[in-house]
Amino acid sequence: MPAPLALSIVVPTHNSALTLAEVLTAILATDLPRECFELIVVDDVSADASPTIAARYADTVVRLNGVHCGAGYSRNRGVELARGEVVAFVDADVLLAPDTLSRMLSTLHCDPSLDAVSATHGESPGVRGFVSRYWNLLLQFGEQHHREGRAHFTSACGAVRRSVFLSSGMYDEWRFATGCLDGVELGQRLHATGHRMALRNDLTISRLKQWNVRSVLTEVWRRSEFLARSLGYQRTRAEAPGEVVFTLSDALIPALAILCVVAVSAAFVTPPIWWAKVAIVVGIVVLTNLRVHRFFARARGAGFAIAAAPLHLLAQVVSIVGLCAGWVLRDAVGDRVPDAKTQAYSEVGLEMWPPVPRRP
Amino acid sequence: MAHSRLDDRLDSGVSPYSAKLSARLPQPPRRTPRVSLIVILPENHVVSADSLAERLPTNHDDEVDVIVACAGQPIDLTSIQRAARRAQFLVAPAGTSSEDLRELAMRRAPGDIVTLVTGALRHVMPSAELELLKTS
Repeated sequence: MPAPLALSIVVPTHNSALTLAEVLTAILATDLPRECFELIVVDDVSADASPTIAARYADTVVRLNGVHCGAGYSRNRGVELARGEVVAFVDADVLLAPDTLSRMLSTLHCDPSLDAVSATHGESPGVRGFVSRYWNLLLQFGEQHHREGRAHFTSACGAVRRSVFLSSGMYDEWRFATGCLDGVELGQRLHATGHRMALRNDLTISRLKQWNVRSVLTEVWRRSEFLARSLGYQRTRAEAPGEVVFTLSDALIPALAILCVVAVSAAFVTPPIWWAKVAIVVGIVVLTNLRVHRFFARARGAGFAIAAAPLHLLAQVVSIVGLCAGWVLRDAVGDRVPDAKTQAYSEVGLEMWPPVPRRP
Repeated sequence: MAHSRLDDRLDSGVSPYSAKLSARLPQPPRRTPRVSLIVILPENHVVSADSLAERLPTNHDDEVDVIVACAGQPIDLTSIQRAARRAQFLVAPAGTSSEDLRELAMRRAPGDIVTLVTGALRHVMPSAELELLKTS
């Protein structure tokens, strides 16, 4: 029987051929000795060359076939094969610094009461495009301004003790099969069972994924809807305030309230001229988002902050609508469940490969 | 790229008809994953029977597809054959890199779970030491 390793690194992939080689090269450039860790890549029904690219670097490649079941499902399959005492999850578009993994490992070794540690989003110099830069800064803002999150586990780059991960029921592949926020949900579950986790701001990662307006708005919608429908807004806000949905919604809710007051007050005074109305609306929206805009200006300059304002406002509106949709769906339909076929297979207890998604 | 040329040469043995047929036929559901073990042997690399046996289930080598990808003429194949009787050998030209061998073998591996093991560098005795040994 092979000896247990210090660390197992699990990388879930799905059509990640563009970034995978760079990501795996960065992982292998870690300052940890090669015999201390194993690299497991789990390919979730990719249509591109991801599995063969993975084979150039990995110790184990898992090829899932059938239906795309999401990153959480893939990570669970990777952990089932892992031999390390600690499991680190790294997404297929996350670029690590050479010391990120070793520092995560030493954080867990130095504090035995700590069960999980996550890195935060940092500068992404490799990323191109205005929208990608905006999205990365938005992720960075939430994580850097809310260090007090007690249940914030970043799936993009986080390490957890394997025994704790297994005993907590692993990622929720039942409800989050095609979704996001599985790390937030895992963090909540770990926190509820008395496990401690840390979000380290001095450990930063860069994202390589390219975003466009449509993909950013889709991501915002999905996160907002899932959060309202499956995780609970207030509970998640208390436990993981760094989540991007709160960065977007926290500022817009007071803005809408102030705008309502202004609109009502306007009924009792002489109607102001049109540019004054526009100035009031813009002023309120900018003022309520001042912290975010100042952060953008410090990171990328005033020009970037001004250019990002309309996109930010659009993302905020989508987030609010997504949250409302989530609340309506939760009350009208209920929590998320997989399709009928998966439920039936699970009920019967069918043993097959790849396994049927399980409840945590 | 060198490895794509190599790939074409190695792939030429597969009949296009059988490839099309296998693609058309639905794969029957399996209860357990199919496991493949790829042993990578770049030039002057060897793998010990012990390290290979560690990765294989005892007396059930037929449950794991073993593929040995070597660059150039492999050294000490008997130990591999002893550990895995049904091992498949892929012989690439000498000088093929470890990464290219991995990619090549991965294309051939049928497993759902593929484990890749790279051999250890064989200790090559310098010619001066060899001469000294011969004369003593």
